[in-house]
Amino acid sequence: MAFWGRILKRALQPARPSSDAAALCSSYSTNAPPQLPRFDHLPKPYKGPSADAVLEKRKKFLGPSLFYFYEKPLNIVEGKMQYLFDESGRRYLDAFAGIVTVSCGHCHPEVLDAIIEQSKLLQHATTIYLHHAIGDFAEALTSKLPGDLKVVYFVNSGSEANELATLMARMYTGNLEMISLRNAYHGGSSGTIGLTALNTWKYSIPQGEIHHVMNPDPYRGPFGSDAKAYARDVQDHIDFGTSGKVAGFIAETIQGVGGAVELAPGYLKLVYDIVRKAGGVCIADEVQTGFGRTGGHYWGFETQGVIPDIVTMAKGIGNGLPLGAVVTTPEIASVMAQKIQFNTYGGNPVCSAGGHAVLRVIDKEKRQAHCADIGSHLISRLKELQQKYDIIGDVRGRGLMLGVELVTDRKEKTPAKAETLHLFEKLKE
Amino acid sequence: MMNDGGNRIENRVDGLFNKFCINIVDGKKQYLFDEEGRRYLDAFGGIATVCCGHCHPDVVSAVVKQMNRIQHSTVLYLNHAIADFAEALASKMPGDLKVVFFTNSGTEANELALMMARLYTGCQDIISIRNGYHGNAAGTMGATAQSIWKFNVVQSGVHHTLNPDPYRGVFGSDGEKYAKDVQDLINFGTSGHVAGFISEAIQGVGGIIELAPGYLPAAYSTIKKAGGLCIADEVQSGFARTGSFWGFESHGVVPDIVTMAKGIGNGIPLGAVVTTPEIAEVLTRRSYFNTFGGNPVCTAAGLAVLNVIEKEKLQENAHVVGSYLKERLLSLKDKYELVGDVRGRGLMLGLELVTDRKLKTPAKTEIVHVMEQMKDMGVLVGKGGYYGNVFRITPPLCFTKEDADFLVDAMGYTLSKM
Repeated sequence: MAFWGRILKRALQPARPSSDAAALCSSYSTNAPPQLPRFDHLPKPYKGPSADAVLEKRKKFLGPSLFYFYEKPLNIVEGKMQYLFDESGRRYLDAFAGIVTVSCGHCHPEVLDAIIEQSKLLQHATTIYLHHAIGDFAEALTSKLPGDLKVVYFVNSGSEANELATLMARMYTGNLEMISLRNAYHGGSSGTIGLTALNTWKYSIPQGEIHHVMNPDPYRGPFGSDAKAYARDVQDHIDFGTSGKVAGFIAETIQGVGGAVELAPGYLKLVYDIVRKAGGVCIADEVQTGFGRTGGHYWGFETQGVIPDIVTMAKGIGNGLPLGAVVTTPEIASVMAQKIQFNTYGGNPVCSAGGHAVLRVIDKEKRQAHCADIGSHLISRLKELQQKYDIIGDVRGRGLMLGVELVTDRKEKTPAKAETLHLFEKLKE
Repeated sequence: MMNDGGNRIENRVDGLFNKFCINIVDGKKQYLFDEEGRRYLDAFGGIATVCCGHCHPDVVSAVVKQMNRIQHSTVLYLNHAIADFAEALASKMPGDLKVVFFTNSGTEANELALMMARLYTGCQDIISIRNGYHGNAAGTMGATAQSIWKFNVVQSGVHHTLNPDPYRGVFGSDGEKYAKDVQDLINFGTSGHVAGFISEAIQGVGGIIELAPGYLPAAYSTIKKAGGLCIADEVQSGFARTGSFWGFESHGVVPDIVTMAKGIGNGIPLGAVVTTPEIAEVLTRRSYFNTFGGNPVCTAAGLAVLNVIEKEKLQENAHVVGSYLKERLLSLKDKYELVGDVRGRGLMLGLELVTDRKLKTPAKTEIVHVMEQMKDMGVLVGKGGYYGNVFRITPPLCFTKEDADFLVDAMGYTLSKM
């Protein structure tokens, strides 16, 4: 199961000196399990409700559909940088970062300061009045983007951002059809659920004029890493499934929920061309890959050498703050002026201040380079594991967005579902 | 619209809200402060959002305390904040409404509610009221019923019924007559079975329009007979604003799903859907997950808000000060022809300006002038309604009688000079 096999989206910390990987690997079968690196932080004593009490309340008041990790779910009460602490003060290495969200580190002091300072001044008044925080943040954010991508809309989540991007695409082009990749995840609201292409997340409701094209998945796709072959499928869908004209194409550069699947190299360049010829716009969903996470580049789409027309972001943008954004060109933005589009909480001073602090931290602490550095070290160590253990079918990703896929048969690529769950539990222990 | 160092932030609200931009940098209780330190009476509350008061110390300290511990880890792990808040919220609900889903906004909450109704009933058709506002994502834009908020994109599966508007509606205050239109829509526009009905108890964006008395019980009954669920959008009317805790309470109904946002967190990005265990069960058919939803900081803030509302008796204050304010606004109506209607409950009040009382011609230019004058005098109000000619008065619930007097005096003073 790719979802459970998706690990290693760490918050960041300066590198430890690396040791001989092979020597480390050979010591596994022998003795004690490896120990957590040292970390100078004492969690506050926890006097709140126990895990059992919380779970009881959750079952009663939060509905049967609310799922959680682990047989015995963890009661996480504190966080500091790349570590989380449970009710007994036990420390865990957080290699998931609240689902690729905590980019700077839990309770990063600079981000906290900015948020707390602003919370004491003004939390909310809406954009019907002026406030410098939103303007300053928008300016800083757009300075990180290439081309003509300089108009920002602030929202509260990735779903909201992708909803807005889809609306813009349809308004700008005057066309209806959207194209997204199989195995993608773009949100859970009415519009985005259509773009999402994994049946676990799709409820049985009408989901609009969406076409799901073949996933350019180097590991499981029928054409391996042959981008041209996959791109042909997009042209096919346009030729035979639409009027010949589309509203837009949306993709993550590395599919997150789908299992850290990198798009075959060269794919986006080809597809962007096809889509634009059909009158559509290209949307890059950077909700998980953005903000330096992939190491080599600030944005995931840069790894494919393209410049999208619209970029959506959330998760890492605020280190955990409920914040999302859509960035596009003035030309595309101009169609939004035909009606009124307003987001009550979007761009509030606290989230804007927090978001701005995140950008500063990423730059100041050279996090992008760090992702590249630690990421390549991590991926090479994981590849060593792959050499050693047959159950590891694939190791992939970039920077600190990595995936390890477990299979029971390397030829058949049979998903090792039970084994993954077992390993998942053991790692937690 | 706003130009900041060469990069534009696109937010075209001129024409609906005040165009004369003031730089708001500070807030305390029911007051806002601009860059020069000038104080304004905030009678809009960040659009009915700041209920406890700007930077209320209890809410800020709950937020700061939680921020320093952990901001975000998602519901994949346990944390008591979400559970405690869900329990407290459920305790404010009647009937079997005890399962809570947290989102980040009103739009997200309504999106989820609409999806649940469609899944639960197996039907697609939703009925909403003309002039209502429910959000701007794909599904909610369909339910929203004012052309200015609806882009030219596909918005299927929604039918918009006659607005039971006592002031401008064809049947005056006869709620039951309007409700017959709902039956008509069902009979002639759907298979006879519907997914549900969604409405605000008092239309906010639509200009503080109270649904005519008797309407909701009749509409709810019709919808239930057609197998549909009743969704109460409490995004603006909830959390004690109207003098009852929930807007729907004053209509004597119990909905199947309740959505909320805005006041729930005193301005923190938070929304919620509350429903019955039976309806909640539909989401188990697949997976629904909201990454930020229910995070410890926002839920800690939400719990603090509930505590403040209780401790400071804000519901009672909303009722007392709101009634007083309404009385005084009605006296303005007696005095000035320009005031066509005064309506609302508690601290969710509206004042409609018309150039002709018989024809009810919207006074579009006059309202902009009055709004600007009031701002100059230190009072910030909101504007809304389909024609943009209604003052929306939705201050923080700690609003006092003195504040009410100041607001009315400023408005009266301006009107007298026109």
